[in-house]
Amino acid sequence: MPKAIILKATNTDLYWKLLLAGILLLIAAGMWGATKRIDYTWRWQRVPQYFVYKAEDLHKAPADAKVVDIIAKGAQTEVVLIEEDGHRLEILIDSDSLKVQKGEELFEGDALGYTRGWHVGPLLQGLWVTIWISFFSGIFGLILGVFTGLCRVAKNPALRGGAILYVELIRGTPLLVQIFIFYFFVGTVLDLDRVVAGVGALGIFAGAYVAEIVRAGIQSIPRGQMEAARSVGMTVSQAMRHIILPQAFKRTLPPLAGQFISLIKDSSLVSVIAITDLTKSGREVVTSSFATFEVWFVVAALYLVVTSVLSQVIFWMERRLAISD
Amino acid sequence: MIKVTNLQKIFRGRGQEVRAVDDVSAHITKAEVVVVIGPSGSGKSTFLRCLNGLESFDAGHIIIDGKDLADRKTDINKVRREVGMVFQQFNLFPHKTVLENLTLAQMVVRGRDKAAAEIKGRALLNKVGISQKESEYPSRLSGGQQQRVAIARALAMDPKIMLFDEPTSALDPEMVGEVLDVMKQLAREGMTMVVVTHEMGFAREVADRVLFMDQGKIVEEGTPEHFFTAPQEERTKLFLSQVL
Repeated sequence: MPKAIILKATNTDLYWKLLLAGILLLIAAGMWGATKRIDYTWRWQRVPQYFVYKAEDLHKAPADAKVVDIIAKGAQTEVVLIEEDGHRLEILIDSDSLKVQKGEELFEGDALGYTRGWHVGPLLQGLWVTIWISFFSGIFGLILGVFTGLCRVAKNPALRGGAILYVELIRGTPLLVQIFIFYFFVGTVLDLDRVVAGVGALGIFAGAYVAEIVRAGIQSIPRGQMEAARSVGMTVSQAMRHIILPQAFKRTLPPLAGQFISLIKDSSLVSVIAITDLTKSGREVVTSSFATFEVWFVVAALYLVVTSVLSQVIFWMERRLAISD
Repeated sequence: MIKVTNLQKIFRGRGQEVRAVDDVSAHITKAEVVVVIGPSGSGKSTFLRCLNGLESFDAGHIIIDGKDLADRKTDINKVRREVGMVFQQFNLFPHKTVLENLTLAQMVVRGRDKAAAEIKGRALLNKVGISQKESEYPSRLSGGQQQRVAIARALAMDPKIMLFDEPTSALDPEMVGEVLDVMKQLAREGMTMVVVTHEMGFAREVADRVLFMDQGKIVEEGTPEHFFTAPQEERTKLFLSQVL
């Protein structure tokens, strides 16, 4: 009898899953039909070259020089130059692109030949910039947030007031405006690089939200924990470090994960101060490839990959920490 | 060992004032077991919590082992090392194993190395009868076991005084005995103990002296024999008739 019930349950589950698949197919078909109507030609084949591409790097004579020797080394050839000041140079180029002969006198800038090689395209470069900007602003935001969260629960009115002011100011204004202020005002006054300004603005923004998460986490730990820690002679900071914060950290992991996923997505806003992150790379690729739809879908997928990896990592940490439950 | 003079603790809120502890004086000598009983809201827990500074007080003096808690220069953390406390809700550290619960404060506060702290911790777990559970987390233990671990945790600091705040009130009835047994053993070994409890059997059997508190005051005090056989005050008689 129980077996039959289980079977029935999985059967109805299957129907619902089929329904979901049907709806998704319908949406896909609708999108396909819609793009047909507007006469859009999909050119997915144009996208991969913006991840990696093979290119020819031209090698030029760095100064006026004489070709003293040409040595074949398989597919490549070594060109040996002696500059006018006697400086000797060896340059490797692909054999089939050799443009000079032994004994030839070269002027500065004359082509010797080229090498072919794989290059990282703008989409991957942009992805990398997005990842490390998110990483550093996340670390900065976490440190700022934990500190502010601790101030928020402190007895000292100045610390508490300062923390509240910071959190309210940041939460009450748009991130885009904060980035502009940070770049144009703070960045100019302190002579900051645009990347520093971008990471700073994102970190300060994330810090305000992390502070509220940390405060809620600390306050969710029962009062008895602090009392027990104090009753064995720990100071407030020892109790915080060994008892309260480790437990609060475990409880705040899910909301913190959400916050850092938001941060990765919000990092797309730094493209407005000309940081070539994934979004700005996407915009540049669109202008050169004209594959507007494809590129934006790919950019969205890349963000999704980064955020999914992060949420998997956090999920794994949650399970590890759950052993004491 | 503990000298309390004219202790006063007032809770203020919404224009109301509650005198939780009202002009209480008591003297507790070394190796004495004092049981504090009284109806709920009588101020007995607040009185106990004042003794290790978990609760601040408005007037009076508490002198523990020569150090006055009313004196701002007294380092409360140093006093607390000598005064162990056991709570009604155990308050074990849930993210630490049983053994880590016992070793953490030894290392952080007393500065002992890990090996020494673990030797001490294991000896105490053995003493309270839970040595086979040292690597479990507190959530896997029964209430009685958790409370015994909590007692061991307090003992790991080598306190001169142990305070118990209704240690058996949150336990299922069948687990009360195992905790009381540990407390009785401690009393026999000469520990100075102040116990707030509703366990009249424990008071009668173990206490050297019983304090009866009501409305923030000590109404009556005396030996258990005096207390349970010939109470003088009307309020004491009324209370005992309700609980016995």
